[in-house]
Amino acid sequence: MKDAVVYAILEGRPAAPARNRTAVMDQKNRTFIPHVLPVQTGTKVTFPNSDDIRHHVYSFSPAKPFQLPLYKGTPATPELFDRAGVVTLGCNIHDQMSAYIVIVDTPHFAKTPAGGKTTLSELAGGRYTVRVWYPDMREEPKAQSITVSEDGRASLTFVAGRGPAATHMHGHP
Amino acid sequence: MAIRSFQARLLYLLVAILVLLEAGTVISVHLAGRQALNHALAEELHTGKRVLDWILETRARQLSESLRVLSLDFPFRELVASGDVPTITSVLANHGSRIGANAVVLVSLDGTVTADTLNGRMIGRPFPFASMLRLAEERGEALETVSFRGGPYQFVIRPVLAPQPIAWVCAGFEIDDRVLADVRQLTSVDVSIWSGTAGVAPQLRSTLPPQQRKDLIAHMTGPRGVGSDGTTLELGDTGYATLFEPLRTGDDSRVNTVLQRSIEEARRPFVTMELQIYALSALLLLAAFVAAVLFARTISRPLLTLAEGAGRIERGDYVTPVTVGREDEIGHLATAFNEMQSAIAAREHQITFQATHDALTGLPNRNRFLERVSLAVSAAKRGGPSLGMMMLDVDRFKDINDTLGHHFGDQLLIEIGRRLTQTAGPRDIVARLGGDEFAVMFFARDAKQALDEAARVESAFTAPYLLGDVVVEVDASAGIALFPTHAEDADTLMKRADIAMYDAKRNQGGVALYETGRDEHSVRRLSLMMELRQAIARDELELHYQPKIDVRSERAVHVEALVRWNHPQHGIMRPDEFIPLAEQSGRIGLITRWVIRKAIAQCAEWRERGLELTVAVNLSALDLFDSELPTFISGLLSDAALPPARLMLEITESAIMRDAAYAQRILADLKRRGICLAIDDFGTGYSSLAHLKRLPVDELKIDKSFVLNLSEKASDDLVIVRSTIELGHNMGLVVIAEGVETADSWQALKRLGCDMAQGYYMSKPLPAAELEEWVRESRWGGGRG
Repeated sequence: MKDAVVYAILEGRPAAPARNRTAVMDQKNRTFIPHVLPVQTGTKVTFPNSDDIRHHVYSFSPAKPFQLPLYKGTPATPELFDRAGVVTLGCNIHDQMSAYIVIVDTPHFAKTPAGGKTTLSELAGGRYTVRVWYPDMREEPKAQSITVSEDGRASLTFVAGRGPAATHMHGHP
Repeated sequence: MAIRSFQARLLYLLVAILVLLEAGTVISVHLAGRQALNHALAEELHTGKRVLDWILETRARQLSESLRVLSLDFPFRELVASGDVPTITSVLANHGSRIGANAVVLVSLDGTVTADTLNGRMIGRPFPFASMLRLAEERGEALETVSFRGGPYQFVIRPVLAPQPIAWVCAGFEIDDRVLADVRQLTSVDVSIWSGTAGVAPQLRSTLPPQQRKDLIAHMTGPRGVGSDGTTLELGDTGYATLFEPLRTGDDSRVNTVLQRSIEEARRPFVTMELQIYALSALLLLAAFVAAVLFARTISRPLLTLAEGAGRIERGDYVTPVTVGREDEIGHLATAFNEMQSAIAAREHQITFQATHDALTGLPNRNRFLERVSLAVSAAKRGGPSLGMMMLDVDRFKDINDTLGHHFGDQLLIEIGRRLTQTAGPRDIVARLGGDEFAVMFFARDAKQALDEAARVESAFTAPYLLGDVVVEVDASAGIALFPTHAEDADTLMKRADIAMYDAKRNQGGVALYETGRDEHSVRRLSLMMELRQAIARDELELHYQPKIDVRSERAVHVEALVRWNHPQHGIMRPDEFIPLAEQSGRIGLITRWVIRKAIAQCAEWRERGLELTVAVNLSALDLFDSELPTFISGLLSDAALPPARLMLEITESAIMRDAAYAQRILADLKRRGICLAIDDFGTGYSSLAHLKRLPVDELKIDKSFVLNLSEKASDDLVIVRSTIELGHNMGLVVIAEGVETADSWQALKRLGCDMAQGYYMSKPLPAAELEEWVRESRWGGGRG
């Protein structure tokens, strides 16, 4: 499964929000690029409009409701995503445009490419709770706990509740 | 009656055919009408259903489109995402009224109602139509007709997208009477929608009138419910073709549509058409009936006319023809009928003519004549003219017939008839009674006039008859009787004319008027004729013998046997009293044979006793036609051992002349057998010398009429007798004279040289015993015996 977001949270030690981190959600050919954008809490995301038509980007998601009324070019200020959750993006004048920003409270996250396998690296040793999110998810696959040693590696498999099986490999540190 | 029943039968047949045809038409029209009606009803119902579906579908599409626009409204989506229920509720109401929804409900993605326009009554509860949500999830929208709050609703569900679904917005549109009325207006089909949720009393929306609506509810909730396609329901007092179609079942919600068409209403055009056809049929039937009656009458009336014609023919009317005035088969029949009538008339005329007329001469026959005489007699009795009747018998017709042939005889009779008709008066009636007998009826006051008439009729025989090359002299004997002088009825009149005719015959022709009293004699003759039959059996006949005297020796050498009838009432009768009767009744042969047998036996007996006498027996004219007679006599002679010459047979001259040729043959036969023959009554029969010469006879017997008054003074008779004797002698015959009653006669004969004599002068005929005595004692006997 493509575009599944896998993220691991060190149990007992919540990570501090990111600082000065930015991400980009481009709009090109009436499409949000990327379709799924995982970010750490506190990341600022800019929404540049690469098309020569206007877009009206909005989100009604509780994690970050916002609007960028009809605009061209890159807005002056990026949007700060400081709450964990999934923000569904839409364009008010182009119903078919849709994208997701997945905000997680950890710096350890990854997005699966085609094939559904990905690796989380540079993990400190400890016990992690590993979770998965993917678009159109009806029910979140059950979170799995795993203990990762300093130089160890481990793998986990998640089965998507809907659609093809999603397999996530968790990388070694 | 037969004709009438024929007409009726023809009529019944025609009418029956017509009725059958009409009934067939009517039935087929009715059946076709019913089929068409059923078909039309089904069609209308299905059309109604399609229209209803189409209307609902169209409406749902419009609703769905409206709802789509609503669901995409940005502020609306924003508001939904905000979760501000009171505002959301107000927006639902606001936007719902914009699109005309009766109910708008916001449902969370987990199927729980989050807001509604129904005062929040549904909030927190699961959306009742879960299956619709699933459908919307799959297809992006759902359109359903459901039962909602007890009524039929169209529900549309669309997602609220942000841009992924964040909730469902559902809009319900009540299917109200207007929708149904549209269908009704478009299709004439009554539409009812029956909707209900479990546990809630179902509701009925309907275009039906109230009463029918109530009845439909009763049907729906009744034990049997409503059947499927093709049901007929009685609602109110009207039948409805009913189509029952479930719209949706599921989610505990049932919506059924009932499409109905009033049968009566649908049938109205058919009924009108059927009525028109029935009326037309009735009219046609009437017309056909009239035509059939006319047709039957055109057949039966001429038949009736023919029947009347037949009745006329039956009554003897052969004149009035049958007129039908037609050229067809019946006309031909009438023509044939008339031809038949003419043919019958002609044939009947012919038959009547044949029955009443003589075929040969064409004259009326005896029956016809008697009929005419009877009429004349009746007329005379009522004061009409007196009448006379003349019976004519052609003399010697048999001779003519035998000599010249029957064809000639027939021609002669025809000619006689013609002449009689010519000579008779215009009012007279000439008839041929049969054979050579004719009769003429005429009107005469008295005997003198009658005799004048007779003379006139007799003139028919004056001139000789010329037939071909042959000329014949014909005479007739005629007897006349008069009414009322001689008879009181036609029968008697004819009988008496007949008697008079026989008298005339006996008197050698001419005319005889009936003598009063002759008839009794005639009656006596008739009874004698009857009694004669038994005379031989009763042994009433007896032979007397009269001696014949040899003139030269003055001795009896022959005897003539003469038959006597010893009649119980009339006493002894002489042959001339009953021999003609015997001849007429055909008994003469028997008598002759009896006489011959008796005579031969007597002769033989005398001979045995030494009395040598030749016995003479008279033969009747009719005996000459008995070809068996010679053999019979020979047999008797040889039985008696008597020389044939001892028997002499006397035949009258007229008998011989009746059929000279045949008589000659018989006589020759007898002669050949040695029997002696004598001609009796010579001088009365007109025999010619040439005839006489050929006859094989031995004796000539001069008729007593010449002898009775013979004397030297009676010169006429003397000349005849003398010349006869001379003639006989010249021909080598023995001549005998009979009727010698006086000495004068005896002397005259002796002197004339007559060979034998016979008569009362010597002896009257005597019984055998007395004759023997006479022979012994008289001077003629010579003491013999």
